[in-house]
Amino acid sequence: MSDIQELMEGPDPGRAFGRDSSRRAFLDKCGMGLGWIGLAGLLSDTGRLAQAAPADADTTARLTHPLAPRVPHFAPKAKQVVHLFMNGGPSHVDTFDPKTTLTQYHGKPLPSENLATERKTGAAMRSPFQFRRYGRCGLEVSELFMHTAAHADDLCVIRSMHADVPNHEPSLMLMNCGDGRLVRPSMGSWVTYGLGSENQNLPGFVVLCPGGYPIVAAQNWRSAFLPGAYQGTYVDPKHRQIEKLIENIKNRRIPRAEQRKQLDLVQALNERHRAARESDPQLEARIASFELAFRMQTEAADAFDATKEPAAIRERYGASTPARMLLITRRLIERGVRFVQVWSGAGQPWDNHDGLEAQHRSLARDWDQPIGAFLTDLKDRGLLDTTLVMWGGEFGRTPTAELPQLSGRDHNHYGFSMWLAGGGVKRGHVHGETDDFGFAAVEDKVHVHDLHATILHLLGFDHTKLVYRYAGRDFRLTDVHGNVVHDLIA
Amino acid sequence: MRRRHLRETPQARVALVLACIFVPSVRAEDDATFFETRVRPLLVDRCQSCHGPKKQEGGVRLDSRDALLRGGDTGPVVAPGNPDESPLIEAILRQGPVVMPPKEALSDKETTVLVDWVRRGAPWPESRPDASAADASNRAHWSFTPVRREQPPEVENRGWARTPIDRFIQARLDAAGLAPAREADKRTLARRLSFDLIGLPPEPETIESFLADPRPDAYERLVDRLLASPHYGERWGRHWLDLARYSDTKGYVFLQDPEYPWAFTYRDYVIEAFNADLAYDQFLKEQIAADQLVASGKADQSALRGLGFLTVGSRYLNNPHDIIDDRIDVATRGLMGLTVGCARCHDHKYDPISTRDYYALYGVFASTVEPDVPPLYAAMPDTPESRHHAAELAVRETALRTYVDGKIAKLLDTLKRRFGDYLLRAHRARGRPRTDDFMQIVDPEELNPALVARLRGALERAKRNRDPLFAPWHALAQIPEDRFADEAATLVRQPAESHAPPWNTLLAQELAANPPKTLGELASCYGRVFVRADAIWWDYTTRAKLNGNEAPVYPDASLGELALFFHAPAGAFDLHANAIDDIALVPDRASQDELKKLRDKLREWRDKGPGAPPRAMSVVDKPRPVEPRVFRRGSPGQPGDRVPRRFVEVLGGTDTAPFRTGSGRLELALAIADPANPLTSRVIVNRIWMHHFGKGLVDTPSDLGTRGSPPSHPELLDWLAAEFLNKGQGLKWLHRMIACSSVYRQESKPSELVRERDAENRLLSHANRRRLEFEAMRDAVLATSGTLEPRVGGPSFVITAATASESSRRTLYARIDRQELPVLYRTFDFPDPQSSSPSRDQTTVPPQALFWLNHPLLAAAARGVISSVDVSRHAGISDRVEAIYRRVLLRPPESAELELSLQFLGEEPDGDAFELLAHSLLMTNEFIMID
Repeated sequence: MSDIQELMEGPDPGRAFGRDSSRRAFLDKCGMGLGWIGLAGLLSDTGRLAQAAPADADTTARLTHPLAPRVPHFAPKAKQVVHLFMNGGPSHVDTFDPKTTLTQYHGKPLPSENLATERKTGAAMRSPFQFRRYGRCGLEVSELFMHTAAHADDLCVIRSMHADVPNHEPSLMLMNCGDGRLVRPSMGSWVTYGLGSENQNLPGFVVLCPGGYPIVAAQNWRSAFLPGAYQGTYVDPKHRQIEKLIENIKNRRIPRAEQRKQLDLVQALNERHRAARESDPQLEARIASFELAFRMQTEAADAFDATKEPAAIRERYGASTPARMLLITRRLIERGVRFVQVWSGAGQPWDNHDGLEAQHRSLARDWDQPIGAFLTDLKDRGLLDTTLVMWGGEFGRTPTAELPQLSGRDHNHYGFSMWLAGGGVKRGHVHGETDDFGFAAVEDKVHVHDLHATILHLLGFDHTKLVYRYAGRDFRLTDVHGNVVHDLIA
Repeated sequence: MRRRHLRETPQARVALVLACIFVPSVRAEDDATFFETRVRPLLVDRCQSCHGPKKQEGGVRLDSRDALLRGGDTGPVVAPGNPDESPLIEAILRQGPVVMPPKEALSDKETTVLVDWVRRGAPWPESRPDASAADASNRAHWSFTPVRREQPPEVENRGWARTPIDRFIQARLDAAGLAPAREADKRTLARRLSFDLIGLPPEPETIESFLADPRPDAYERLVDRLLASPHYGERWGRHWLDLARYSDTKGYVFLQDPEYPWAFTYRDYVIEAFNADLAYDQFLKEQIAADQLVASGKADQSALRGLGFLTVGSRYLNNPHDIIDDRIDVATRGLMGLTVGCARCHDHKYDPISTRDYYALYGVFASTVEPDVPPLYAAMPDTPESRHHAAELAVRETALRTYVDGKIAKLLDTLKRRFGDYLLRAHRARGRPRTDDFMQIVDPEELNPALVARLRGALERAKRNRDPLFAPWHALAQIPEDRFADEAATLVRQPAESHAPPWNTLLAQELAANPPKTLGELASCYGRVFVRADAIWWDYTTRAKLNGNEAPVYPDASLGELALFFHAPAGAFDLHANAIDDIALVPDRASQDELKKLRDKLREWRDKGPGAPPRAMSVVDKPRPVEPRVFRRGSPGQPGDRVPRRFVEVLGGTDTAPFRTGSGRLELALAIADPANPLTSRVIVNRIWMHHFGKGLVDTPSDLGTRGSPPSHPELLDWLAAEFLNKGQGLKWLHRMIACSSVYRQESKPSELVRERDAENRLLSHANRRRLEFEAMRDAVLATSGTLEPRVGGPSFVITAATASESSRRTLYARIDRQELPVLYRTFDFPDPQSSSPSRDQTTVPPQALFWLNHPLLAAAARGVISSVDVSRHAGISDRVEAIYRRVLLRPPESAELELSLQFLGEEPDGDAFELLAHSLLMTNEFIMID
């Protein structure tokens, strides 16, 4: 079957049109066929586009096929990104940055004055969790993330992250959009703007957050001045029905076969309309978009349906909400979605000013096993090499506690940890360090801008050249900042 | 050119270099040669990639002597003649906190060259920066020169051109050897005109009567009828609202209510202004300074609504600098196509716009505030309810004011009482990470972090500015603890003016009388003096008032310095500005909650209390305007030189006069709306042109600067601009002129030759095919279904939760939440309402098709089509099909289409089948494309 036929026949046989004619015959009758040649190259069975355009191709193509795959500036190491966003700010000294000195000072003031954070903190607080070494590299990780740590030799832990302020909103904006206050496109938007997506039947940038929005809501995945096609598609994985996951994905009125018949009529009329005019990419693109949309209805439902996974796989991930999200994420990555951002939950789950021990334990319990299974799964399928997985919050937490209790920690932007895996980063590697107490990054500091520059580099972009002209100047994710951290790259 | 040397030990290196410093330099070569052969290549090679025209790390430029002396964020980098006081030298010696170049150190030879150069006095033969030449040529950029009065060119074939516009177009086509396309058929024209002018499809009857109208001016009559429609203002008002980044909400504002309950009054003002064909200059002036025009009788009270242009912007967590930036941007980029916002942190890299220009305008908007209770724009009916509303409003307003004033008074009182503590805390904070940018939560009895941060900033500024008030502090505070008593005693014995910088005499006296033995005692001493100073301020101010003077006169400078410390208008401790929204000032949760409660009580009554009238989102001038300073690198913590409030120099000339009246907002409005302003008229005629043709004559409609696209038809642009001014600045005149031209009436079909030679259609040899924007698309669906509600104006409705009658209103009345725009909006390329938008993207993505395929609006519309009289009155299948085509596509079906449709319907179609047919037609390309 040729591509054209394939396209016309679609995965659904649905030969309901007319009593005596197949759709093919019908279309031939209306003189269609030739017009589709323009689209043939665009589509194949999987929704993957045959040829990628260069990243700086002209704007017309960008608008008619905004998500067509594009080639970056140089050969990329990573092609897809998964960002596990632990919103609220997980404590680095309780997870990936052990500080034994805190045990020594537990309940006592630190020898140096505490850095100013959002709230006043007092005495040092030791980590209530046990750390041990994992893997050949001997990475120290707390008991909270033992399944994740089973992949120690694949992790690249940055212990010297730092951001600008200790408040949630601007820090979320900085981590996602590269600026704390001003309106800038999110990293996922920049990446899909730069690379398009591999699967035209699914959104290129998917955001999963169970039970509602994180704070500052959709601004976290906005496209700002980039075209709207690059904004993240928000999905609430608490829902099981596909129509609650993606707007307008399902027609409540007519069955699929009948809709195919209706679409055939529309396309036949569109084809006559087009044939009477000169070749016009706008018209062709719109015709194609309807075919893609029609397929998206089944493809998307399938991609987001974690129950289609074999029981053994589902068991490996576990039964938590993050487990389901990560299964869906793997299905999306497999299908060529460019950027998936997975949030811990609505609001700010990791923001444990008090009762940190119980809350961190419960959050990590939900996340750790699925992360371990997810990394294994990606590895088994050969996807980890080209998929950059990133874990972290908008900042970390103070080594000191908010008095009078010794039970929780304040926000800390001076130093925190994130880890990366796959996508061309070093394996079993620790980069940078915080001071003796974990208050501030001191060695090989990595600012959020540097992280952004590095991610773009892994994806094949010079971060100073992935730009968009707006309001008189060229904007970029890293604004006027950012240095690629070569030490993170394998 | 990079020279590498063997590394000696660091110690040896320093010794060597220091030896150089203390050896008098031998002037073997003259300064110019020395600079050009040794210094300049070194600066270019090793420094300027980060400190030059392209980048200014740390605010430092090393490409002119002026720049060196002006320095960066932390002051001058070179003290000519004095290497050991030059931060540049300290940095290259790698001895201090700043180490330069960051990666590879300069060789000793290179270091010696720079040390020697600084000691020579840092000679720089041509002391002007290299950018100046470019600057001059930028000022001659086409859009900054006056609008020329062009004559329409003569053309050979006179049969085509109807208007002067056409002659400009034809001349260019002739020159390119291209012919214009044929005139589109009347049906196409009627549809095009209708969508262009009122954003709605023509009624089928309108089309039929237009087709049947034999009069030669039938077309012009249709144009006039559409321009007279109240829907014209809705269509073109919405274009304006893109520019005005209109939204019904503030964006993310933390604990605050994000609503702008009266944003719609601005939207309605815009619609009315377009419908009334308000002269464009008046329209601009009202949107910037209606309050002042109303006060002088030059505008109607209802024009106050126009000030929403300034105030409907995003609130950026109430950061005042960002709010001002947004207003500068919308006024300059939106109205003049000038990207002044680029000069917030550094001089514009391409256009002749300096940071001085930016902060001159900053001063205008920083001197502009919004009243807590905005004014009414129409007379309030005198009813018991309205009287009660006003009385209760006053009560709640007073309660809030009293609370805030009380808080501020208490804050300042504590600050003065515990000034010593604050001073020590601010002093200890130096060198530690800054906290100005974030909110801290502390108990009420603790030192207020916001005040500590302000005092810390004040101390840093005082040091930089060599302020006599804190000169003793800075001189004494650096003495090590163990020697403090002795060394302080020696210093305080010296006369005040003998210090460098000199000390404030009153402080010096106090210190001499009670020499401090510790830093703490020094702080207490400051505390004592400042408390006295405050009493003196009160005393002098009261006396001045009694004598009818505006400002007190202090007998000597020292007393004035002291007295003004807490009371300088717009100074560090002027806490009243924005206090109601500045939650950081009350850092304890209890007070924050109380403040929020009072604020909500006021706002709720103001907005929703019984009898609450709508109000204009107006602004007023502050009683005392702000004297702006340039913020280095855009950072308010680093104020630089003062600038007067004035217009931008590229338009006002290098001797641009400072604004004199209040904030200067009216003068700014006049300068923008001045017919002599070369940008304003070009920008608006280009925007109007763009919405008629799909593309502007200038393709970057909000950037006419040097990086914008040049106009495709510069003479035509100027002719239009000049005629527009000449004809009284009526936009309807402009629409008529454009819509009646031959170039506008062409069909959208390019010839083969054109597709080869001018694929982008810059020469306008045919009409551009366009797609309906989101609003026009949804409105067209509603209009086609016969359910569109024609009422103009009124409060916004929530599109995702609309009642049946609301959801049939035109789309521009749907509430726009900039924080959370419904997904559908962005899917259909509605511009991000965070900032002014010049034009819309037109992407094609599957989620759009999903909307057409599956959204209930479409099914409902199809039902509307089927149940409309002109369809339902037909009994025969073919007749019904034809009626559906006429209704949706505004034409009868061709025979093949009829056949296809009948085949689709099958033998005995029911109502559902007809609905699916109507739905299908609504989805076609023909329905949403304008030929």
